[in-house]
Amino acid sequence: MAVCIAVIAKENYPLYIRSTPMENELKFHYMVHTSLDVVDEKISAMGKALVDQRELYLGLLYPTEDYKVYGYVTNSKVKFVMVVDSSNTALRDNEIRSMFRKLHNSYTDVMCNPFYNPGDPIQSRAFDSMVTSMMIQVC
Amino acid sequence: MLLSQLPARPLASAPSPELRAVDFRMSVPDYMQCAEDHQTLLVVVQPVGIVSEENFFKIYKRICSVSQLSMRDSQRALFIRYRHHYPPENNEWGDFQTHRKVVGLITITDCFSAKDWPQTFEKFHVQKEIYGSTLYDSRLFVFGLQGEVAEQPRPDVAFYPSYEDCDSVEKRIEDFIESLFIVLESKRLDRATDKSGDKIPLLCVPFEKKDFVGLDTDSRHYKKRCQGRMRKHVGDLCLQAGMLQDSLVHYHMSVELLRSVNDFLWLGAALEGLCSASVIYHYPGGTGGKTGARRLQGSSLPAEAANRHRPGAQEVLIDPGALTTNGINPDTSTEIGRAKNCLSPEDIIDKYKEAISYYSKYKNAGVIELEACVKAVRVLAIQKRSMEASEFLQNAVYINLRQLSEEEKIQRYSILSELYELIGFHRKSAFFKRVAAMQCVAPSIAEPGWRACYKLLLETLPGYSLSLDPKDFNKGTSCPGTHRGWAAVQMRLLHELVYASRRMGNPALSVRHLSFLLQTMLDFLSDQEKKDVTQSLENYTSKCPGTMELLTLPDGLTLPPVPFTKLPIVKHVKLLSLPTSLRPQKMKSLLGQNVSAKSPFIYSPIIAHNRGEEKNKKIDFQWVQGDVCEVQLMVYNPMPFELRVENMGLLTSGVEFEALPAALSLPAESGLYPVTLVGVPQTTGTITVNGYRTTVFGVFSDCLLDNLLGIKTSGSTVEVIPALPRLQISTSLPRSAHSLQPSSGDEISTNVSVQLYNGETQQLIITLENIGMEPLETLEVTSKILSTKEKLYGDFLSWKLEETLAQFPLQPGKVATLAISIKAKLDFSCQENLLQDLSDDGISVSGFPLSSPFRQVVRPRVESRPATVSEGSKAGDLSHLKTLEAVLNFKYSGGPGHVEGYYRNLSLGLHVEVEPSVFFTRVSTLPATSTRQCHLLLDVFNSTEHELTVSARRNEELILHAGECQRMAIQVDKFNFESVPESPGEKGQFASPKQLEEERLEARGLEINSKLDIHWRIPSLKRSGEASVEGLLNQLVLEHLQLAPLQWDVLVDGQLCDCDAAAACPVGDPVRLEVRLTNRSPRSVGPFALTVVPFQDHQNGVRNYDLQDTVSFVGSSTFYLEAVQPSGQSACLGALLFLYTGDFFLHIRFQEGSRSKELPPSWFCLPSVHVRALDAQA
Repeated sequence: MAVCIAVIAKENYPLYIRSTPMENELKFHYMVHTSLDVVDEKISAMGKALVDQRELYLGLLYPTEDYKVYGYVTNSKVKFVMVVDSSNTALRDNEIRSMFRKLHNSYTDVMCNPFYNPGDPIQSRAFDSMVTSMMIQVC
Repeated sequence: MLLSQLPARPLASAPSPELRAVDFRMSVPDYMQCAEDHQTLLVVVQPVGIVSEENFFKIYKRICSVSQLSMRDSQRALFIRYRHHYPPENNEWGDFQTHRKVVGLITITDCFSAKDWPQTFEKFHVQKEIYGSTLYDSRLFVFGLQGEVAEQPRPDVAFYPSYEDCDSVEKRIEDFIESLFIVLESKRLDRATDKSGDKIPLLCVPFEKKDFVGLDTDSRHYKKRCQGRMRKHVGDLCLQAGMLQDSLVHYHMSVELLRSVNDFLWLGAALEGLCSASVIYHYPGGTGGKTGARRLQGSSLPAEAANRHRPGAQEVLIDPGALTTNGINPDTSTEIGRAKNCLSPEDIIDKYKEAISYYSKYKNAGVIELEACVKAVRVLAIQKRSMEASEFLQNAVYINLRQLSEEEKIQRYSILSELYELIGFHRKSAFFKRVAAMQCVAPSIAEPGWRACYKLLLETLPGYSLSLDPKDFNKGTSCPGTHRGWAAVQMRLLHELVYASRRMGNPALSVRHLSFLLQTMLDFLSDQEKKDVTQSLENYTSKCPGTMELLTLPDGLTLPPVPFTKLPIVKHVKLLSLPTSLRPQKMKSLLGQNVSAKSPFIYSPIIAHNRGEEKNKKIDFQWVQGDVCEVQLMVYNPMPFELRVENMGLLTSGVEFEALPAALSLPAESGLYPVTLVGVPQTTGTITVNGYRTTVFGVFSDCLLDNLLGIKTSGSTVEVIPALPRLQISTSLPRSAHSLQPSSGDEISTNVSVQLYNGETQQLIITLENIGMEPLETLEVTSKILSTKEKLYGDFLSWKLEETLAQFPLQPGKVATLAISIKAKLDFSCQENLLQDLSDDGISVSGFPLSSPFRQVVRPRVESRPATVSEGSKAGDLSHLKTLEAVLNFKYSGGPGHVEGYYRNLSLGLHVEVEPSVFFTRVSTLPATSTRQCHLLLDVFNSTEHELTVSARRNEELILHAGECQRMAIQVDKFNFESVPESPGEKGQFASPKQLEEERLEARGLEINSKLDIHWRIPSLKRSGEASVEGLLNQLVLEHLQLAPLQWDVLVDGQLCDCDAAAACPVGDPVRLEVRLTNRSPRSVGPFALTVVPFQDHQNGVRNYDLQDTVSFVGSSTFYLEAVQPSGQSACLGALLFLYTGDFFLHIRFQEGSRSKELPPSWFCLPSVHVRALDAQA
């Protein structure tokens, strides 16, 4: 259902980005990259809120004609960005939320790997397959 | 749609959105608009006829400076917006929003003769016609004429002699604005005071006109619509006239009216007007970037603003009845309503949203909607509400206008980019800027604007957090060497920059960008991309090589050089010392001085600490001026193909250094690969290796070590000492492949080898050549024999340096020779078993003096025995080569380096294979007839494969065939070893007794050997040498050869009787027999008792001792000798009487017990006496 899923480091460089293969990959790079503006804005707006009460899910970052871009930020400022086809109206906010939660859990697993160096591109196979499952689930 | 179809690659097709074909006439959006523009009057300034652009803009600028004018009488301010171009279609919308209406026209024209004047004036009128319907007033500025025109001066025409001489332009503009104000004011009042009786005309936008045809103009609905639109119009006019509060009131009323009739387009305009007025009120500083700035500097406006609103408001109040009759509630009690009428900042946005939503209902109002969005974004930017601003912008992106020209697209994207920048969305901004850049070179454009494209692309760099300085690249990253940033998009941008700069016709730029791409994005490039990038880089550099220069762009941006520190990657830098043979060494004495100069202490922790620090940077060896010095780099090629690095040289400082560049070719993805860079220091001092220089793919790079990451270096500073000469040695001997034992310690530059027969001596001629640039002044030669198991006799190496030194100083290129003689003298003894055999025989050898010299005849030896032994063992031990190794050290110096106290050391390895020549398989002694002499019997074995002759002193030559063994007897005088000067006592102090003993043994051997002087010769090979017995003389033999310290002399009849010669004595007469003892031993000996035993030898093995009848003693036959002190003498006398003639022997024997047991038996070796008794007559 998602057409592109990206994990972005605190310093705003991609740790992981994956898009549906048939599409122009660079397009999604640009899309996710520009969405960071909104993410930054939302984070800075949220900054004052208490840490524990902070909502990690950022909601819709911006819609384009064909896609909707959703964001999620962890407490360590790692961002998850998901691009979803606009035509897929079946997708509710709650489902997006749960997808992000799944993504977050999987990311946590990656971080728990003692051989993973925080800041390196994610190459975990488990993470990869999880992302794959999220991308094809509904198609 | 726009977003998704934006070109991703340079030259990709431009977006071709299907745009609705819209037929409305206002088409050109003014992206620069901001809310404040609603209060401005639009004045168009245009040239007429041929006016040079330069001149026009000069005047235009001056006109523009008068953008704000306070009206003298009313204290209101008037703002003017000047345009030098304004599409007349847009003017048609002037009723909708009055700030879109061109109210003033200023034309500028050249006119040099009065003749042309009417024509020019005509043109002015034509120009006026274009905006005629809306113009309040117009002006014509004529340059060139000076009032020669006969016509009456007109108020709307001004003459100036030239573009320089026109001081009163500003003044005239002010007048012009005042006149505009008067018209505006009158219009405002006119509209505001329209009486109810008059029919309010319906204002409409161009596209509406046809909609209202045939509408019932009398309906209440229509009337309300007319009223509402008019109210809005009056609001606009009030705003323009500087009456903010009034305008607010009017807008509010208008909104109410229009809302009731659902006139959405105009309702939107009224709402926008309300917003604009509120914005002007809230943000006197302005919201639009540049124009806002202009306003700011133009006034003390904020302070005055409040004052200014009042009078305007009051004016409306003065005329309260004006509107009431129209049924509009004249709620103009602005004093109370000001706060209420003015929108709060939040409301402004809401109202904008509402307005835009209304606008969006009309496709033809796209430009209005777009401009409203832009204005709202500007307001939001000031309010720092980026999220909402982005929504407005997002909306603006989707507003489709008619088919835009390429230029308009560029403008549109640029402005979007600017607006995103304004709200802090740098990435989005960069995205649109990049799109704009791509638009500049869209294939549909006939003349692609590569320059503009490039410029725009450069502006996107910050948005992609990319700096073109490679130094910034790794800055701020927690882990050095890793790239931080969105590599995919950065790479794309760099590719585009490369392409654009190339198409711009600036290859230097594209090379720089491409180098940067390669250097910084190396980790992200796929193998194929790496190949492609390098390929194109090589293509570019073939035309324009990459340099280390700073590139400066016309707009002032500088592109720092990009050194290829990753092509190849250098992991390790190590300065190498000179090769051992060239390594300078400090003379010890001078070194000592150095140390003492540093500190009076031998050790101090402080000094030690300092030294440690110094050590980190400075390396503890020296380089020599004028000599090739080396630095070793460990390099790694990260590319998937062979990397050719050319001109790789060193960058140094401190000393003039001539780097000798190297070219290398690294295999694909090589492991660490050592590369040695060389250079020659030209002066002395301290040299620091700062980095290296390379040329890769035609790009020159200077890579400084400081900037390299993860590099290991063991110091980069080294001292360069003054020049020293260089010595090259060549020898008469062939070079050897043998390398000396590793334990030798020194590194040997050359090895020579020679094969010698044991005992042979050979001359080694060493040719010394000074191949350096400095004279060779001193030379010292030492040798060192490497530890060998073999015992070596004599001087192995000997030379005379004096002759060579006589040729010194040796100028560069000159040659001197030195002769060294190599004498290989090893043990000539045979293997252990033979020696064993020898000692068995020792008993007989050491036999008592009784044995006669003829014994060998009596007991003939089995000659073949040793031969068979040797044959059996030949394959084993005898043929085995012995090896001797030595090192010759040449210490030399000269030139300035010598003055500084440095020298060089050159080592020559010498490898000598010693083949056995002869062996002494057995050695024994036989007493000679004289006690002073002795026979040395040597069994000589020829172990060579050639015929060999052996000779000893005073002996004939002995010929030995290969493998033959023969006995050789040499008569030798006994040796008085005590006379050999004992080495001085000092030696004894150090050496252990055993060593001392050995030394003594050696010295004795040497003496014996020199006496024997045994030589061998191989005639067939024409080789000869010595043979030495030193090694095989054991204690036993030595004792025999030794002259006993007790010297016994027997005198018969006063004659010394020592040899075979018989002493003659007459029969019947008593013969005096005297035995003398000289004690040369260091202790006292004796007393001794001697018995004389006469006997006759029958020469057949029978000895007759029964001689009582024939020989009688006069007195006792036993002599008594007293104790003799060291170096004392003692004698005893007796007499014999021979009764018959005959040959007699006298055996002088010690009596049992009298001999001291501790003294060796050979000490008591008395000569036997042979007496021939003759008839007295005979």
